[in-house]
Amino acid sequence: MSDFILRTKQLTKTYKNHHAVDQVELTIRKGDIYGFIGQNGAGKSTMLRLVTGLGFPTDGTMELFGKDADKSLNEAQKRMGAIIESPALFMNMTAHENLEVHRRQKGVPGVSCIEETLKLVELTDTGRKKVKNFSLGMKQRLGLAIALLSDPEFLILDEPTNGLDPIGIVELRELIKKLNRDKGLTVLISSHILGELYQLATTYGIIHEGRLIEELTLRELDEKCSQHLKIKVDDADSAAAVIEAQLSTTNFDVMPDGIINLYGHLEDVREVSKVLTGNGLIIEHLSRNGDSLESYFSKLVGDGRNA
Amino acid sequence: MLNLISAEMFKLKKNKSFWVILFVSLGLSALMHYLIITDWWLISNTPFDAAALSDLNALSMFVIPIYFNLMTGSLAAFYISTEFGTDGVIKNQILSGRQRAAVYLSKFIVYTGGSVAIAVLCPLLTGVLLNILMGNADIFTGENIMFLVRAFLLFTMQFAAFCAIILLLAIMSEDSGKTIILSILLTLVMFAAERFNMGGILNTIYDYSIFQQFNLVFDVSMTAGGIIEALTVGGITIVVVLVLGMFIFDRKEIK
Repeated sequence: MSDFILRTKQLTKTYKNHHAVDQVELTIRKGDIYGFIGQNGAGKSTMLRLVTGLGFPTDGTMELFGKDADKSLNEAQKRMGAIIESPALFMNMTAHENLEVHRRQKGVPGVSCIEETLKLVELTDTGRKKVKNFSLGMKQRLGLAIALLSDPEFLILDEPTNGLDPIGIVELRELIKKLNRDKGLTVLISSHILGELYQLATTYGIIHEGRLIEELTLRELDEKCSQHLKIKVDDADSAAAVIEAQLSTTNFDVMPDGIINLYGHLEDVREVSKVLTGNGLIIEHLSRNGDSLESYFSKLVGDGRNA
Repeated sequence: MLNLISAEMFKLKKNKSFWVILFVSLGLSALMHYLIITDWWLISNTPFDAAALSDLNALSMFVIPIYFNLMTGSLAAFYISTEFGTDGVIKNQILSGRQRAAVYLSKFIVYTGGSVAIAVLCPLLTGVLLNILMGNADIFTGENIMFLVRAFLLFTMQFAAFCAIILLLAIMSEDSGKTIILSILLTLVMFAAERFNMGGILNTIYDYSIFQQFNLVFDVSMTAGGIIEALTVGGITIVVVLVLGMFIFDRKEIK
């Protein structure tokens, strides 16, 4: 079985003389949370529409679940869930009824999945309230419920945090992480909130003027952003020796002022702290430093506008 | 396919416009039939007169394209076109992994079923029921029942073809207002072709179209050849328009 959920080759979408998507070669592996980054009009939504089969490429090929999408798009769609641009909802129906329509369309057996999915997105208490009376955040969550109803293997979310309040954004992030961790759900997510994407995605694709200009993993991004742990202890020389011996790395710098910049081990802050204090060192400062995804993105596309 | 039809049925049942149009049709047909039965209103020289069913003369109004198009065009606008518009729910249908042709066909079946209920069954059944309730049951002789069954079955076939055309307009326009305008324009052009001898290709199209058949199927003395012609015109129109619709829908970019 293929490790790739999605692989595109030279995928192109042209409108008249404008390349909305230009020879994109994108790869998403099983279990990835793929953050798709680009400015407004960069081609993110067009790309997602091509992947979901809402639009058709002008040129290039696409493989979904290891099979040529030209021949097996419908089969692939059954294994996918998506919100493209905005949640597609029947405004005069309740949340339950919206899911019932989708359940019938997809041929999902049994109605128990509706309550389970509503519970997952915390919309069980909406009762007979029509969707037209929902807040933007509730609509987003219902859109997500529709995407998740058939227990997809590949979830595609186009700007899913639009309209969500800060708590809603955190809840969405945790839900996606949970589904990814517990069910192995692969996620392709585009968002304007790069700080949010940074906390969620494991791989990033940066699209600019229709072209995929960079594809990199979180680790690669951290390296490129010179992400490091900034450590200040009472004895820098001893700390350097401990790090080298017990963390098995020489990937650090000791600065003239005694500050140690440790590259890597970004996810092991607790471990680093434990090792240092375990060797009798007193930590005066320990923080994560470096460029943010926003600044890296701005440098890459050449201006400071928002993504 | 059954899943898609079931989903379409659910959507139709939840569609307010469908119920409004259905009750308007019910109320209007009940009123018209009542006025005719009680001789408040007189219509003559209808096909129902010729079949000795004068008390059903109100039906002659309901089988004119300009009238029933208001119902079917509105239903197409608020049940089909709206899915492409602001709600954008058509995206979910495409993403469901069903063949687009099957999605289109399920829409045709349920939309046509709903339209038949509104524009054919409501006027016919209220007419029959009111006549029975008001003591006119004796008009329904075996011969008259046969006429009604034959005429309305053939009419329903032409009507289904008409629904296929309106569905195609709705899918192409993706807009409720445009769907209504286009459907009205279509019926007006065909009405003009019927009433005024404009000659040329328009009259030729009319002569071999379902629009001509809407009149011919109510001919009391319809021959076997006429029945075959009606079946052929209706059947071919349904197939051709459906195939064209599926072709267009299959290649349609969903916004």
